[in-house]
Amino acid sequence: MSQIPDQLKHDSAGRNERRSRKSNSFAVICLLISGLVIVILVTLLTTILTKGAGSLNWNFLTSVHVENQPELSGIWQALVGSMVICLICGLFALPVGIGTAIYLEEFKPKQRTMRRFQGLVQLNINNLAGIPSIVYGILGVTAFVYMFGLFDRIQVNQIPEYEMGAEYFYQVNTISNRRQGIQGRFVSFPAKDPSQPTFEINEPIEVTDGGGQSFMLNVIADDLPMPTDPELLERTVRRGTVASRFARYQASHFHLPLGKSILAAGLTLALVILPIIIIASQEAIRAVPNSLREAAFGMGATRWQVVRGTVLPSALPGIMTGAILSMSRAVGEAAPIIAVMGGILGTTRGLSNLMDASPVLPVTIYKWSSHQNVAYENLAAGAIIVLLVFLLLMNSVAIWIRYHFERKQGAF
Amino acid sequence: MNVRTLTPMPEEISSVPSTRELAVTIRSFNAFYGDLQALKDINLEVPERQVTAFIGPSGCGKSTLLKWINRMNDMVLNAHANGELILGKQDVLSRQTDVVDLRRRVGMVFQKPNPFPKSIFDNVAFGAKLHFKISKSELDQLVEWALRKAALWDEVKDRLKQSALGLSGGQQQRLCIARAIAVGPEVMLMDEPCSALDPGSTTRIEDLIFELAKQFTIIIVTHNLQQAARCSDRTAFFYEGKIVEAGETNQLFTRPAQKRTEDYVTGKFG
Amino acid sequence: MAGMNVESNPQELILSEFRLRSPGAARFHQSLVVTVLIGCALISILTTIGTIVMLIYESSGFFLNEQIEIGKFLTDTRWTIGQTQGEIRYGIWPLLSGTFRITGIALLFALPTGLITAIYLSEYAPKKVRAVLKPALEVLAGIPTVVLGFFAVTFLTPYLLAPLGDFKPFNAASAGIAVGILCLPLVTSLAEDALQAVPRSLREGAYGLGSTRFEVTIKVVLPAALSGIVSAFLLALARAVGETMVVALAAGSTPTFTLDPREPSQTMTGFIVETINSESVVPGTLSYYSIYAVAAVLFLITMLITIIGQIIRNRYREVYQ
Repeated sequence: MSQIPDQLKHDSAGRNERRSRKSNSFAVICLLISGLVIVILVTLLTTILTKGAGSLNWNFLTSVHVENQPELSGIWQALVGSMVICLICGLFALPVGIGTAIYLEEFKPKQRTMRRFQGLVQLNINNLAGIPSIVYGILGVTAFVYMFGLFDRIQVNQIPEYEMGAEYFYQVNTISNRRQGIQGRFVSFPAKDPSQPTFEINEPIEVTDGGGQSFMLNVIADDLPMPTDPELLERTVRRGTVASRFARYQASHFHLPLGKSILAAGLTLALVILPIIIIASQEAIRAVPNSLREAAFGMGATRWQVVRGTVLPSALPGIMTGAILSMSRAVGEAAPIIAVMGGILGTTRGLSNLMDASPVLPVTIYKWSSHQNVAYENLAAGAIIVLLVFLLLMNSVAIWIRYHFERKQGAF
Repeated sequence: MNVRTLTPMPEEISSVPSTRELAVTIRSFNAFYGDLQALKDINLEVPERQVTAFIGPSGCGKSTLLKWINRMNDMVLNAHANGELILGKQDVLSRQTDVVDLRRRVGMVFQKPNPFPKSIFDNVAFGAKLHFKISKSELDQLVEWALRKAALWDEVKDRLKQSALGLSGGQQQRLCIARAIAVGPEVMLMDEPCSALDPGSTTRIEDLIFELAKQFTIIIVTHNLQQAARCSDRTAFFYEGKIVEAGETNQLFTRPAQKRTEDYVTGKFG
Repeated sequence: MAGMNVESNPQELILSEFRLRSPGAARFHQSLVVTVLIGCALISILTTIGTIVMLIYESSGFFLNEQIEIGKFLTDTRWTIGQTQGEIRYGIWPLLSGTFRITGIALLFALPTGLITAIYLSEYAPKKVRAVLKPALEVLAGIPTVVLGFFAVTFLTPYLLAPLGDFKPFNAASAGIAVGILCLPLVTSLAEDALQAVPRSLREGAYGLGSTRFEVTIKVVLPAALSGIVSAFLLALARAVGETMVVALAAGSTPTFTLDPREPSQTMTGFIVETINSESVVPGTLSYYSIYAVAAVLFLITMLITIIGQIIRNRYREVYQ
């Protein structure tokens, strides 16, 4: 630095050199600070890999959470749950989002009131994108889980007001007698009035046993002596025995309100990503050259024929890219799902219909990393790796579509 | 100079030999974009099965008139027009006019070739599928017919299923013409169809226009005076939103009635 | 005009023999479609209306409860709803201050870093650096927030902050930094867009006067892009205020009214997710309604920030169009 005083004596030459040195050192500072992004990313990924790599194995992928047994726990249900929720979310958000985008971009009305309406929708969409996802979560609770209280709330031991795809049975155990070594067995019969949680057996009734065999169930009065034939005992209950209700659900099981179900959670996520899908689709539609629209209009196509025949096919790759990117946002969301389904880690039955709750990957990661048993922390890291791979796959599809599209449309 | 004095009476300039039917009749037609008047008091008769060229400097309103004939200006938010514009016997400007049906009867070819990013076959079949209840074999027949009419069949018959975007610029423009022909229009509007093409392709399109005029009424907007002279039967010269002169192409180019027309066709301005 | 390329007499077709589709049918079809499309657009309007109605209706269950005075809600400095014992105190300030403490730390990190990265990308970066930096930012932007929460708990707190002082296992600082990491790609990409929108002519003019790159950037480009950068900051602010999973994991579940970044710090979002997840909260109870009251405050704040951001952004769009 000894040459600085010398040059200061001089004219602007020294000044200029200082100025350019300032400029260059600023560039270096910028580079260093920008490098922080890389440092953060590398640290983040290294932390996750070192913690999580050990827990990745076949068992981890295929088993279910077991409380206080981290070495047996896995993410199978969460993985399935994430895929199903992604599907529900897409099935709802894609048509609605693309439909809204088409309406806003291609059906600009001439009347002033409808133009105002469109302006309102557009403004509204931009604002929706800024609402925190947890607020959508409580909207989901109110609008889907409880449905604004329009239907009676689902409570324990009470069946929903509106329901389909569920069969109710009563189940009872036949007479058992330990001294005689008679165990009794479970038999069931369909419920005539499912709203009653229990049913008192006073008369013989047709029942089915676990093997699917049907027979008449004998009823004997309290004061009568018990029969001794074990065959007969197995088909007998005492008068007044109480059978309890249970349900078998079909895959089409559905009820209102939706309750804490994967359908409610999927619909909530759809609301979260709807504004993102709309905005991305609008951009893709805007990118379609106007000459195509003119050509189709010039042939006497109606506006909808123009959209379906030319605009949509050209915009579809762009729309799909945006849609996949926003779905990958949905796959990573945890807050709204915790609000709607609760922070569950596993269910006994697994996911058998849309009314079931299910764990999903982000919620599993949240619950495991905040678990009292610190051993679950490594499992959380393992689940993060799986989630990141899942997202990576989705994004690769988006990139592939974009690449394919650019090559195909190169002639424009 | 007052331009109004240059405008001769309609009967003088645009009456047509009575042997031909009129495809388009325009009387006292005015067109506006918002408050701006783009066309003033236009009177013109376009005879059927001939080529009529619209010439004039940029911004003179020739493309605007063209786009009113098939009501493409409906899509411009504040465009409106008054006066008479009659296609055959139908009032084009009437509210009752069905633009979908109108545009089937009036085909259009644009400045830049704009084939759809679909196969060659689907491009030609697009309009036919919109308008006709048609069987698969009839459609095949129709596509071949339209492509032959547009002098493109031999070049593409082996790759009908390939993307139209793979064709050269000139082929694309002929495809666009085939696409317009395939719905059986009475009138074809061409908005500077060769301005984006090389000279070789331009010649082919001009030959095509000449041939098509045997069957269709063609109105072509062009900047290229030689083109108008080569391939049109009648010419209308536009200047500042008015028709200065219209008549037989030969006459307009060799013995123009108006000084301004002469200045323009001899290249003194434009 | 000789030498035609047209085939010798292609077989003539009489097109008028084809049966025409009725234009009315196509138009009817279209009006059906438009109705459906308007229905789609209505869903987003209904979402907003539903959210506002829900927040007003359900939070009135809180504000109109006889145990609650609105004055105390706005002024008291303790919040005990959601805790099992003790008297009920319901001042919003601990949650509000928790949110803004974490947001403040996040922005303190994300704004300068993001802005400088954006300046570097827009004005300086050679192609090779760009090719690394841009995808890295995109990857960072795509990382789910729950993952960043995990990172805060397992790395930031024990390895970065613990050596620096007496940080609690759950503290405002690590959550704040993690939220900052979350906002960083957002700030960078929006600020870069704003810088790129500055017309080339402005830069050329300044270079033409003999300015260095630094001078052009600081004295010409930055001021010209200011409103775009401010709107980027506001969007990042809204994002930070609404962030839930990072704070739920890393900031702890104790509402505190302090400025100390080493202390736990429950935010509005953290309170909501924690309370709604607890089994005991069922419709009709005060804790249930308090969720909606807090959510209403959160909604108002983010809405306000978004709207201001949009006004500023629309203004700067006008400048260059």
